[in-house]
Amino acid sequence: MEDKFDCIVIGGGVAGLAASMMLAKANMKFLLIERGEFAGAKNVSGGVLWGHDLNKLVPNYWEEEDGGWERFVNHRRLTFMDEQSTFSLDFKSSHFNEKPYTGVVVLRSKFDNWLAGKVQEAIDASDYAMDSFIATNIKVDEVLMENGKAVGIKTGEDEFHADSVIIAEGVNNLLTRQVGLQDKYVPADHMLTGIKEIIRFDQEVLEQKFQLNGLSGMSNEFVGWATDGVEGGGFLYTNRDTISLGLVIGIKDMREKKRSPHDLLNHFKSHPTIADIIKGGEVVEYSAHVVSSGDSRAMPKELYKDGILIAGEAANLLMNAGKAIQGMDYAMRSGILAAETIIEAKEKGDFSAATLKNYRSKLDDSYVMKDINNFQDAVHLLHTDTMQNKVPNLVCDFGRQFFTIKNEPTPKSEKMLLGAIKRHASLWELLKLGFKARKSL
Amino acid sequence: MKLLNLAERLGLVNYRNQSKSQIKPHIVVDTDICNSGCPHKCTTWVCPANCYTMDEENKVHFQVEDCIECGTCMYACDQGAVDWNYPDPEIGRGVNWNFG
Repeated sequence: MEDKFDCIVIGGGVAGLAASMMLAKANMKFLLIERGEFAGAKNVSGGVLWGHDLNKLVPNYWEEEDGGWERFVNHRRLTFMDEQSTFSLDFKSSHFNEKPYTGVVVLRSKFDNWLAGKVQEAIDASDYAMDSFIATNIKVDEVLMENGKAVGIKTGEDEFHADSVIIAEGVNNLLTRQVGLQDKYVPADHMLTGIKEIIRFDQEVLEQKFQLNGLSGMSNEFVGWATDGVEGGGFLYTNRDTISLGLVIGIKDMREKKRSPHDLLNHFKSHPTIADIIKGGEVVEYSAHVVSSGDSRAMPKELYKDGILIAGEAANLLMNAGKAIQGMDYAMRSGILAAETIIEAKEKGDFSAATLKNYRSKLDDSYVMKDINNFQDAVHLLHTDTMQNKVPNLVCDFGRQFFTIKNEPTPKSEKMLLGAIKRHASLWELLKLGFKARKSL
Repeated sequence: MKLLNLAERLGLVNYRNQSKSQIKPHIVVDTDICNSGCPHKCTTWVCPANCYTMDEENKVHFQVEDCIECGTCMYACDQGAVDWNYPDPEIGRGVNWNFG
C-alpha cells in the first residue's frame, strides 16, 4: 500500500510554513507542496510581519546572525499627503527595541526560504524525518475528493494521498474555488493590487537617511495624493540595505477611473517628499501581487469542509483598519490554528467537518477574526472618499497654514482649521466622520 | 532619482524558463469576448506588466511572457474572458522573485 500522509499542506508561504512547523513539532507525517523553486520564490508582500507569533515558531529568532528578517520596527509613521505636502503622525520608541519585537520587516523570497529551513530542521528532529517532506517546484492541479471528502491532491499524472489538506495557496485561491468554498469568479470590489519597487542604497546611507540604529527599522503608510484619487494607499518599509516602496490600489476603482498601477507608482515616487527620500537609490526589483482588502464580504463562504482547512490569504485573512496593514501575522496564526486542529483530528481519528469546524471556532476566538469582525466599520470608513481624499487634503492645508510664518498677524489655529475644513469638506461631513471614527476605531 | 518606465522595470524581473523557446501559457484569454462586447477593456490598463495591449483598431491582444503572476486581471475582468492559472514549473513562465 502506498504511503498516506496525515496532512498535505498546499503552499510554502507564511500560513503553510507556520502550519508545517506545528505539524513537524507534533510528530505528524505531512507533505508541504510549493510551486516555486523554493519557498518564497513566488511570494510578495509589503511587508511587516506584526506580533509575537514568529517567536512561538522559531524561539529567539533574533539571536541568529542572519535570520530571515530585515529589520525590527521601532519607528512608525502615518502620513497624509497632498500635492506638495506631507503631514505625519510619527511615533518612535525604544520600547519597541525590546524582544520579542512587535514587528519585523521581511522580504518574502528570503524570509519564507529561511522559515522553510527551520521547518526542515523540525522535520529532521521529528519521528517522521524520513517520511515528511517539503516538495518544491510542484503545482497542485486539483484537490482529490471522494464522497465529498478530501483524500489528497493531484499534480500532473501524480497523486498524493492524505487524511487532510490545508490549503494555504494565497489570495489567488484557485483550489479553494475548486473545492467549492469560494465562488469561481471573485469580483474586483474588495480586491486590491499591491505594487512595489525594491530600492537599494549603500547600507550606511540608508541607516543615516532613516536614523536607524543597528537593525532598527521604520514603517510608513501614506494616504491621499499617493494614489491620485484612486482607492488605496502607499507604504515604505526599511530593509537591511533596501527599502520597499509601493502602493496598494483598489482594482475596481482602477477599472472605473482608467488608471494603471505602474503609472500611479511613478506618480507617488514623484511627490517632493518621496523624491527626497529615494534620492540616490537604485531600483533592483519591481513586483506586484493582488491582496484582499479585509472586507469580510470577500471571504470564502466557509474555511473548512470534510478533510479541508483554508488558511492565510486563501481565506482572505488580511486587514488594514488604519493602524497597520496586517496579513502575514493573520496567515501565521491561522496556519498555527489549522495545524492544531489537524493534530486534534488525528488524535480523534476523525478528519470530517464535524471535527475540522473547530478550526473555525479557534479562529473566531483568536485576535484574527475578533479584529476583522470588530473593525469592519473602520475598513469601510478607510475606503470612503472622505478619508481617502478630503481628510488628507484638509490636514495638509491646515499644516501649511499652521507652519507658515508670514510676518503678519497670525490667526488662531481653530480658525485655520475651520478654514481648511471648509475648503476641502464641510463641518457636518467632518462631524459625521469623527462620530463614525470614534465608534469604528 | 530617475523614474523607470515599465520596460525598464520588467527588465529587473527574474523570469523562469527564459531560455525555452516554447512555453505553455498559464493564462488563456478569449479576446473574442474582449473585442465583441466588453464595455471597458480594462485589462489593457490595470495589468502591472502590460500583458494586455490595445491596437489602433481598439482590439485587445494578450501575451503571457511578461506576466508576473499577480492575479489582477482575474478580478478586473468581469466578462469571463480570462482563464487564469499558475504557470507550470517546468514548461510555463512566471517569476522567481529575488526579494519579494
